[in-house]
Amino acid sequence: MAFADHPTARRSERSLLHRLYSAYGQEAVILVAMVALFVIVGLINPRFLSPENLNTIFSGNAYIAVAAIGMAMIIITGHIDVSVGALIGVLATISGTLAVAGYPVWVAWLVPILVGMAVNALVGAMVAYARIPSIVVTLGMLSILRGGLISVTGGAWISGLPKEFLIAQAKPLGVPAPIYFMVILTLAAAFWMRYSAFGRSLYAIGGNPEAARASGIPIERRTVMVFVIHGAFAGLATLLFATQLQIIQSTVPPNLELTVITAAVIGGVSILGGTGTVIGSTLAAILFAAIGSALIFTNVSAYWLRAVIGVLILVTVLADMIRRRRQGRA
Amino acid sequence: MKKIILASLMSLSLSASFAHAQSPWTGGDDLPTNPLACDGTAGTVAAKPYDGGEATNAPDRKGKTIKVVDVPKLVGIGYFNATSKGIADAAAEMKTMDAKTDGPTKANIDDQITLIDNYITSGVDGILFAANDPVAIAPVLKKALAAGINVVGYDANSTPDARQWFVNQAEFNGIAKSVIDNLAAEIGEDGAFAIVTSTFTTPNQARWIAEMGAYQAKCHPKMKWLETVEAQEDNILSFNQANTLINKYGDELKGIVGMTSVATPASADAVTQAGKCGKVAVVGLATPNAMKPYVESGCVKSVVLWNPVDLGYAAAYVLRATADGDLKPGATSVKAGKLGELKVINGSEVLLGSPFVFNKENIGQFDF
Repeated sequence: MAFADHPTARRSERSLLHRLYSAYGQEAVILVAMVALFVIVGLINPRFLSPENLNTIFSGNAYIAVAAIGMAMIIITGHIDVSVGALIGVLATISGTLAVAGYPVWVAWLVPILVGMAVNALVGAMVAYARIPSIVVTLGMLSILRGGLISVTGGAWISGLPKEFLIAQAKPLGVPAPIYFMVILTLAAAFWMRYSAFGRSLYAIGGNPEAARASGIPIERRTVMVFVIHGAFAGLATLLFATQLQIIQSTVPPNLELTVITAAVIGGVSILGGTGTVIGSTLAAILFAAIGSALIFTNVSAYWLRAVIGVLILVTVLADMIRRRRQGRA
Repeated sequence: MKKIILASLMSLSLSASFAHAQSPWTGGDDLPTNPLACDGTAGTVAAKPYDGGEATNAPDRKGKTIKVVDVPKLVGIGYFNATSKGIADAAAEMKTMDAKTDGPTKANIDDQITLIDNYITSGVDGILFAANDPVAIAPVLKKALAAGINVVGYDANSTPDARQWFVNQAEFNGIAKSVIDNLAAEIGEDGAFAIVTSTFTTPNQARWIAEMGAYQAKCHPKMKWLETVEAQEDNILSFNQANTLINKYGDELKGIVGMTSVATPASADAVTQAGKCGKVAVVGLATPNAMKPYVESGCVKSVVLWNPVDLGYAAAYVLRATADGDLKPGATSVKAGKLGELKVINGSEVLLGSPFVFNKENIGQFDF
């Protein structure tokens, strides 16, 4: 154990840096990695840091970052959702169908968010009250949504979307709209998670459900609510996903749910629940996009993207375990 | 924890520096290529003996009106609506074919087998099919051949001995020639281009890319192939990758080739949103429905695929010639109405011909 030889005595004289680190350790790691990446690749090819490319990097995974906010909340509460990719696909089809049918665009934007909340209210109720493990419920939901989507659409794509519907293509002040969505939603969620009683109770539920129950937290209701909030973020992610291009596919990117979960985990959310922040998950989503772009700028095969992300997952989980072990001993 | 930071930094910088030394991957496979001639002349065909099946004791059907059933992968989608229109057109033209289309409502091999079995029992002279599974469909097709029914496939093959002929919509080198020729026409003989594909290991895409590389080196040697990037079957990733290519190469990049129905429209959208229409050409393989917005806006000029109406039309003529005894094992070509003389390739396949290019004038006529 590389860390076992740290004298326990030194822990009492923790500096401010240490305290910041223990609260935002993983976020700091990602931030440092990202800055290093920008510096190195920027030196190799300065075009990497051009405003256009920074826009591409920061907006490229914005929809994944938004979905990962909800996913981080779910994992922090001690659950998991493997159906979010399929849900985004279904919501995108609903949104596009409404837009093409001539409904006002705000209806086409709002309905998928509401449907996402409704679907996840059902999932949350089954998890909280029927006590079925969330992995089982969401695996079932994954099959239902994916199968339903193909049956209903017959694999047909939606085109002819009205211009004003395509919100992700807007560029207020020269910055792509998805970046605004990502930043505002991440900050709002981060503040809410840290400072509201509700947000803090999620950490308690994920960390130790029995203790949370003993302290009077209504676990079942909170669980349903956190799934509903996650559904709303899935709906918001859909807005960005469905309006980025002029056509909507009847399929979603393969393994989208895994990418979203990976963003949350690399962002420092413990897969065992109880710790992590949504700032970390958003930084991780941006880091994926930055690595993907860097590989092209440095002429590396895209296979490295998977390898690098794999290494990041292992390092993150390892760090999480070490942190837990140290806390356990303290 | 410092060690972990150090480790991740090191792995990042390592991959970045290694990387720089490597040459970009082409995304093609290592199989031998067979580029077509630069002008329109037909490519060389390696002679291969007939490997299709025989209809046993088929009655003499020459000139007689024959009853034909067409069993596509599924019915109710634009693509197979187009093939069955082609078959109906051919039947109407010949006046000696009574053709109808009946397929499963989902692309399900079991439903398809049941349907074909029912038609064998009810008695038809010919079966046209597009297989949902090349191996699973073989026994029922062999049963049809044993009953003296003429069997011809199109779009999706079965094992060769389970049918007499298969109409092949496009060969890899034909698609490659069409893509590169159209690209050269748009970006010029010395233009630079990049490719967006699904993954480097997707068999069809890797084959097309290898043939494109060979044909470009042979017929458009001054064009500059910058690199190939992967984008899975992921539309947003395809969009990001195309944007990154535009950002990386700036004005040097004159064209992007999309290799899938996902990558091509996403690349076109990236070019559109970057305000580069007319400066960066997008050529690619895609279905017309996926490309209509971009072709109609004028940002994309050519989309390469085949024409499914022609495919159905050719299949009907091949079946007629087989029933008449005009298309026998060992034949090198077959007459297919307005499509003219079609070549026999690979032992028992009939090649539809050059790929079809969808453009602003014709794309509105297709719905798949």
